[in-house]
Amino acid sequence: MAEQKRPKWADWADHIRSLDDPAKNFEKPEALDDLTIIDLSSRSMAGPYCSSLLAELGAETIRIEQPGGDLVRSYSPNGFMHRGTGMAYIQEGRNKYHITLNLETEEGRDILKSLVGQADILIETFPAGKMDSWGVGYDELAKINPRLIYTSITGYGQFGPESGRNQYDYDNVAQARSGVQYATGEVLPEGKTLEDMPYATSTKAGPWIAWAVSGTFAAVGILAAVYYREMTGEGQALDVSTPEAYERLNDYMLHWYADQGVVNERFGNLDTCLWLYGFYPTKDGGVFLGGLRLEMWKAFVDIVGKYDEWGAEEWTTLAPFMKKDWQLKYQAMINPETLKYTSQELTMKSIEYAKKGRLAPITPVVAEIVPPWAAMHDEVWRDRGVFTPVQDPVYGSIVCAQAQWKSTETPPRTKWACRPVGYDNGFIYLKYMGYGPVKLRELTEKGII
Amino acid sequence: MPDVFKDYVKKKFSKPGPLKGVRVLEVCTLLFGPSGPSFLAEMGAEVIKIELPPAGDVTRSLNPFGWFYKEQSPMFMHINPNKYYMALDLHIDMGQQIFKELAAKADIVEFNLRPGVTRRWNIGYEHIKEVNPGIIYIEKNGFGQWGTYAEQDRPSNDGASQALAGYAWMSSFPKRPPLKQSIWICDYYGGLMGEVAVLAALHHRRKTGKGQFIEMSQTENIMRVMNWVWPYQQMTGKGVEPAGNRDQCICPADTFLCADNLLAALAAPGPDEFLGLCQAMGKAELAVDPRFQDHTVRLQDENALAILKIIADWARTKTADEIEALGKEFSFAATRLHNAKDMNEDPQRRERGFVKEIDDPLYGRYVEHEFPVMMSKTPPKIKWTVRPVGFDNEFIMAKILGRNQTQIDELYLHGVLGKWKDMQGRRPPSDWDGQAGYIIRR
Repeated sequence: MAEQKRPKWADWADHIRSLDDPAKNFEKPEALDDLTIIDLSSRSMAGPYCSSLLAELGAETIRIEQPGGDLVRSYSPNGFMHRGTGMAYIQEGRNKYHITLNLETEEGRDILKSLVGQADILIETFPAGKMDSWGVGYDELAKINPRLIYTSITGYGQFGPESGRNQYDYDNVAQARSGVQYATGEVLPEGKTLEDMPYATSTKAGPWIAWAVSGTFAAVGILAAVYYREMTGEGQALDVSTPEAYERLNDYMLHWYADQGVVNERFGNLDTCLWLYGFYPTKDGGVFLGGLRLEMWKAFVDIVGKYDEWGAEEWTTLAPFMKKDWQLKYQAMINPETLKYTSQELTMKSIEYAKKGRLAPITPVVAEIVPPWAAMHDEVWRDRGVFTPVQDPVYGSIVCAQAQWKSTETPPRTKWACRPVGYDNGFIYLKYMGYGPVKLRELTEKGII
Repeated sequence: MPDVFKDYVKKKFSKPGPLKGVRVLEVCTLLFGPSGPSFLAEMGAEVIKIELPPAGDVTRSLNPFGWFYKEQSPMFMHINPNKYYMALDLHIDMGQQIFKELAAKADIVEFNLRPGVTRRWNIGYEHIKEVNPGIIYIEKNGFGQWGTYAEQDRPSNDGASQALAGYAWMSSFPKRPPLKQSIWICDYYGGLMGEVAVLAALHHRRKTGKGQFIEMSQTENIMRVMNWVWPYQQMTGKGVEPAGNRDQCICPADTFLCADNLLAALAAPGPDEFLGLCQAMGKAELAVDPRFQDHTVRLQDENALAILKIIADWARTKTADEIEALGKEFSFAATRLHNAKDMNEDPQRRERGFVKEIDDPLYGRYVEHEFPVMMSKTPPKIKWTVRPVGFDNEFIMAKILGRNQTQIDELYLHGVLGKWKDMQGRRPPSDWDGQAGYIIRR
């Protein structure tokens, strides 16, 4: 990357970096190192993601799988496996201890109860009622440990008319039920059918965002419940439904329909509420353009040399630009202009404009739309510790997304990437149950671990 | 159903929120900044939203295709419930002093400004730490506080993060241009993750008395979500490409066009689920087909595309509701695609109190989403919506800083405190009676 002149506030940047650079994470304490978590997640990645977030903060996290391992270990593009583990779980097994336990047996359930007696938090993702049918639902476990924070993440919640469904929680189904997928996607032009353009339909996000959102809401709920417990000594049950969690991030759609009867429909790469805000084509790909203040939109028009021709000087409000017909009209006018440049050229023009443009320091947001491959190789993210590989004793050097936030005192950190099924049976059963090799052999023979 | 959730919705207001007693100051605009403190407010924290008078938060102007609710931005309403509204000019010395006095009595302060701005306003972490060593101080923005992009002073927002993280790239159909989400996912999700950081810091402070400084880049944060993408690229040397509605890591998991031209999504990777689906299709033999029997083998592209084609042909002969019903009967995950109408009319959402009516003194009755974590002992709850700029100045100044009316008037005179501009979204709704909603009435 080219040398750049540093800003006036560079001393601030250096000062903060000296305090929160992820390279120094292991010199710092951990916020949650007094908490023990039992993660019983099954088939859903929302649970493991939730426990990852807490394990990154130091919680001792015991991941319990049925003997043979959980189905999530098989989740991987094209079935690609690394030492028997799929690409998804090799990220979200991080920092956890992995043990096996057969909950179909009474002895297995007794062992779970003993572990629960020593735990702070339990996370499970079975269809509602499954844990109760095993006799290890919240009502039972709270008798053993009233301080327990028992967290269920499911498709349909623990109560409500649909909660009796015997169905597991999957990301793509949750995205479909949230209302978000409905309103996202390319617009089918008039006169065309889905047979002509099968891609011009409601489209889900590529990443497991519904699972991530429900897992993160669960983590926020858990931490709030911990706060309450520290004050009162009381644990409680938490109920998160993945489609609801994701739908909570869906903004005005609910209210718009209730008040106006409008069903929010797809608007392609424009935005129903915002201008300037969308994806535009360039010579070598595309960019996001954003400017939610009138001056930023004017600055963009200036950058592409249309300030006078389009009459930008006369504009006094952004309001009319947000209307649908104006959005489509100006989109058509902008497209040929952005196509004259590469994404990089437009990005640099925006940065330069902030220094020398007629409306400087105001400038529009210009961001290249990059493939994940380019994101992973971007030196800026690497410098900020986002893709620092984890040196895992079993799986080798693994690139793990991490350092999603940085802090001066208790930053998140990744210690190991994953563990094979039952890898920590020896350590965890000894530490929590006093089981040595003789007992473990016996339990293995009985099919309990 | 666990007994503890019996009558959950009915009994909500007999229990406290989990964050009772936590005080938060927010100096945030748009969505990334304010969303996080809102989640805390929904869980019972006292959140004071500080805006610059007289125009306040830009979000007050935003709207879908020109629709406002009683002159207010529906987005602003959705993102900012349960807060107290204060307008304080942080550009001037006396405003900064008042902020510091408030921060001395707060647990958490949140900002979303460009790097270095809080320091210029004399309310940077170092300044606040002096008056409150236990403060938890978070700054959220596009590129963090240091590094090349931050130092270029690049502006950013949700769409830029979707673009720069590779998120948009992998969210379209194959060979189609990248696709932007219809929601501001990097804003909201960044706001949410920020509270993981803040609440963990609160726990640490309880143990040690120590506060901390936290910074978050929304682009870095959304990359955390894309978990399998990174080791897959590392180990195969191949970039991840989009796959439309098909889940690349789970098979079958896709959205299908149905006989009634509606869409249904289903997923059935587990052996029991896959068998259930095959039985529902009347093709139980597929469950033992060597191409499909084992999930890892079924995921191989050739096999995955083959089974998805079989399901797609079958789905075209059933309505979306029929597929959802078959999912229930045969225990595989399936749903008709929901839209805004379903969100409003679905009994499940209503009976769980997830979709509910707010009864607000300024804005009347309207529907809103509840906080999506149901907590048996400490139910989170939305109680009221947004307020005009500076609406609660008197209350905050009296309650927290003990200022009397003469002193408050003095601050107005010097432009330290401010009230709303006579402008859409800033002033009260036109049917306001001049009193409703005020906590301290003059």
